[in-house]
Amino acid sequence: MRRLPRRGLAFLLLVLLHVAASASDLRIGVLAWLGAEEAEAQWTPFFEALQAQLPGKRIVARHFDVAGLTRALAAHELDFVITNPGHYVMLEETGISRIATQVASARSDPAHVVGSAIVVLDRRRDLQQLTDLRGRSLAAVSADAFGGYQVAWSELLGAGLNPEKGEPRMLFSGFPMTTVVDAVVEGRADAGVVRACLLERLELEGKLKPGTLRVLSPRATEGGDCRASSPLYPGWAFAAAGTTAPELSREVLLALLSMPADAGGMRWSVPADYRPVHDLFRRLEIGPYAFMRETGWHALVRHAWPWVAATAVLLLLWAAYTVHVEHLVKRRTRELTAVLAERRELAERLRSGQEQMEHLSRLSILGELAGTLAHELNQPLAAISNYARSLLRRQDRGTLSPDALAQAAQEIAGESERAAGILNGIRGFARKRGQVREARDIAEVVGEAAALMRVMLSRAPEIAVHDHLAGRREVTVDALQIQQVLLNLFKNAWDAEQAAGDASPIEVHLRALDDRCAVEVRDHGTGLTPELQAHLFESFFTTKPDGLGLGLSICKTIVEAHGGGLQAEAAPQGPGLVFRFTLPWCGQDA
Amino acid sequence: MPDNSSAIVHVIDDEAPFRRSVLFLLESSGWRAVGHESAEDFLKAAPEFPAGGGCIVLDVRMTRIGGLELQRRLKASASPFPIVFMTGHGDIDLAVQAMKEGAVDFLQKPFKEQLLLDTVERAVRLSLEQHRADRKCREARDALDRLSARELEVARLLALGLSNKEIGRQLAISENTVHVHRQHAMEKTGAGSAADLARLILRADPGGLD
Repeated sequence: MRRLPRRGLAFLLLVLLHVAASASDLRIGVLAWLGAEEAEAQWTPFFEALQAQLPGKRIVARHFDVAGLTRALAAHELDFVITNPGHYVMLEETGISRIATQVASARSDPAHVVGSAIVVLDRRRDLQQLTDLRGRSLAAVSADAFGGYQVAWSELLGAGLNPEKGEPRMLFSGFPMTTVVDAVVEGRADAGVVRACLLERLELEGKLKPGTLRVLSPRATEGGDCRASSPLYPGWAFAAAGTTAPELSREVLLALLSMPADAGGMRWSVPADYRPVHDLFRRLEIGPYAFMRETGWHALVRHAWPWVAATAVLLLLWAAYTVHVEHLVKRRTRELTAVLAERRELAERLRSGQEQMEHLSRLSILGELAGTLAHELNQPLAAISNYARSLLRRQDRGTLSPDALAQAAQEIAGESERAAGILNGIRGFARKRGQVREARDIAEVVGEAAALMRVMLSRAPEIAVHDHLAGRREVTVDALQIQQVLLNLFKNAWDAEQAAGDASPIEVHLRALDDRCAVEVRDHGTGLTPELQAHLFESFFTTKPDGLGLGLSICKTIVEAHGGGLQAEAAPQGPGLVFRFTLPWCGQDA
Repeated sequence: MPDNSSAIVHVIDDEAPFRRSVLFLLESSGWRAVGHESAEDFLKAAPEFPAGGGCIVLDVRMTRIGGLELQRRLKASASPFPIVFMTGHGDIDLAVQAMKEGAVDFLQKPFKEQLLLDTVERAVRLSLEQHRADRKCREARDALDRLSARELEVARLLALGLSNKEIGRQLAISENTVHVHRQHAMEKTGAGSAADLARLILRADPGGLD
C-alpha cells in the first residue's frame, strides 16, 4: 500500500468516505476490465474532471469486475455505472438507462466506437481472409472481452467459423491486450484479436513497427482512422441506475457533455443506440441471450419453472392415469379375450357334440332300419345270384334260349342298379358333415325325405303330402337335418301303424301357422297316453324294444337349432298322433 | 329228376324282381313254377289248381297276410302243398315256429340256388308221397264204406285177430252167420286175409283199431 501514489491515496479516501454517504454523494461504479489498479490510473483524471464540473456533489467512484458491478447495482449501492457496451446491454435488464456514450474523438459517432481487428503477421501470405483461419490458432485477451473478442467472434461466425468448436483454435492470453500482439509477432499464435485502433496507437507510440502486422478483411470504419475487421459498435456507456432521480441524471449528463476530451482523446457524447450490441449478443447467444444456448426444456424450466413443473406434474399424472387405464384396458381385454375364447371353445364343443349326436342319431336310425336294410340289399343280390346260376344251369342243359338270356341279363342289370341306389342313399345319410343353411322350398325337402324313405324301404308306407301353403314356401335349413327329422317321424309313424295293424297312409300337412312354417306328420297308430307323451322328447326314452330313445330328443334339438319347435299331440279325429314342427320362414328372425 | 311232371311249384313273394328270379331258376331246372304276388292271390287261385304234387316257396314277411298266417290257413284247409319258407331276416323265432307248424325248410336269402332246388325237390317228393297216401286212404275208406254195419263190425274184430267162434260169441250170433259176414266183407273190400283187412282199416283211419 505504501507504494500507492498520492492520487491513489486520495481516491482511497473517497472510497472510505463512501461509508458515510450522504444525499449529495454521487456513487459511480466502473467496470475495471484491466484490473482495479489499472482502472484507477485510467479513470482518476476523469473523475477529478467530473468532480470539477459538479462542485455541489461528492463523487464516490468504485471499481468492479463484471460480476461485482452487477451485484453492487442490484444492491442499490450505485447511482451510476460506467461499463462496456456488452455489459451495459446485460445490465439493461436491471432497469438502468444510458445517459451518455463514450466516443474516441469529437468527430466520432457514438454509435460507432468499438470494433475488433484480427491481426496476422504481414508476411503470412496464406492468411488473407477470415476463412483462412480455419484450423489455425487465434489469440485474444478473454472470452468476456467485447472489442477484444466478442465482436471478432461474431465476424468469424459470419464467415462460417465457430471458435467454440475450435475453428479457429482460441488462445486466451489475458490482459493487457498487448500480450495478444506479442503472441502474434512471436509466432505463438497464427492470428490475434485486438480492439480496433490499438494497432494504430502502438504504431504511433513506436511500440510496434508499422507493417509488421496486417488486419484481416479490413473494412472502412466511420472514423476512418483505424483498421478493423468488424463494423464498429457503440462505445462505453454511462448509465443511471433505475432508482436515480431524472434531475440528477440530467445534471450529470450536462457535466459529461461539457467535459473536454481526455488525454487519450476520449470524450462523452449523446447516448448511442445499443441495438447492434443486442443483435451481436443474440447472434452469439451470450449475455442476455445466453439462454438461447440452452435446450428448450432447460430454458423453459428456468423461465417458467412453476408452469413447467405444473405441466410436468399434470403430464406425469396424465401419463400415470393413461398407463393405469391402459393397464386396466389390457387386463379387461385379456379377461374378455379369455372369456370369449372359452365361450367359443364351449360353443365349438357343443356344436361338435351336437354334430356327433346328429351323426349318432342318423346312425341309430340306420341301426333301427338295419334289419330292413339288410333285407332290402339281400333282395337284389339274391335275385342277381339266381339269374346268374340259372343261366349256367340252362347252358349246361343246353336249354339256354336267347330270350331267356336277354331277360336274365336285363334283370341282373336292373337289380344291380337298385342295390347301388340303396347303398348311395344310406351313405349320403350316414356321412358326417358340418352345418349348412340354405333356402329351400319346404315341400321339396319333405318330398325328398319321402323319396329317401321309399329308397330305404321297398315296402315303405305310403306318405300323403297335403300342401296347404298359400304364400311363402321357403325356409332356411340344413335340408339333410330336416330330412333326418322327417325320417324319424315317418319311421315312428310307420312303427305305430304297424303295431296297430293299420295300413293307412302317413299324412303330412304343410301349413302356415302363426307366421311360421308348420310341418305335421300324422299317423293312425294307437296314440300315446298323456304320461308317455310327457316323456316323449327326453333322451333315452323309448317305447320300442330295439329303440335307443335318441331319435325324438335329437329331432327336437335339430328343430330348435333352426329356430323352431317340435310338439306332439293327439290327432284331432280318431286314434293316432300328430308331430308338428315349426320353422321360421326364409329371411325371418329365428 | 323224379316223376314230378305234374308237380307245380308256387312262389309267393311280394318282391317282384326276386319272385321272377326264383321262377327263372326253377324253370331252369325243369320245374313248372307259378308266381303269386301275395297270399291272397294264391288263395284266390288255389281252387283252380290241377290235382297233383307241388309245393309252396313262401316269403315270411309280406304286407297284410304274412307267410306264417298263410301257413296256418293252409293247414286248416288241409292243403296238400308242403311249404318252403324264405326270409331276408335271420329271424330264428319265425323259423322255429314255421318248422313246428310243419314247414319243409326255412331258407335265408340270399341262398345257394342248389339249396333251393334240393329243398323244392324234397318238398315235391313229400307232396307226391302224401298224395299217394291220401289216395290209398281214400280208396280204403271207399271200400269200407261199402260194408254194412254188421259186416264192418265183423271185419274190425277179424282184423284184431279174433276167430269166427270168438266173434260169434262176442256179437251173440252163430259161428255160421259170422262166416257169411266175413265172406261178404272180404269180397266187398277185395281183402284176401284178416291181415289185409287190418291194413285197410288202418289206412282209412290210423286209430281205427284202437
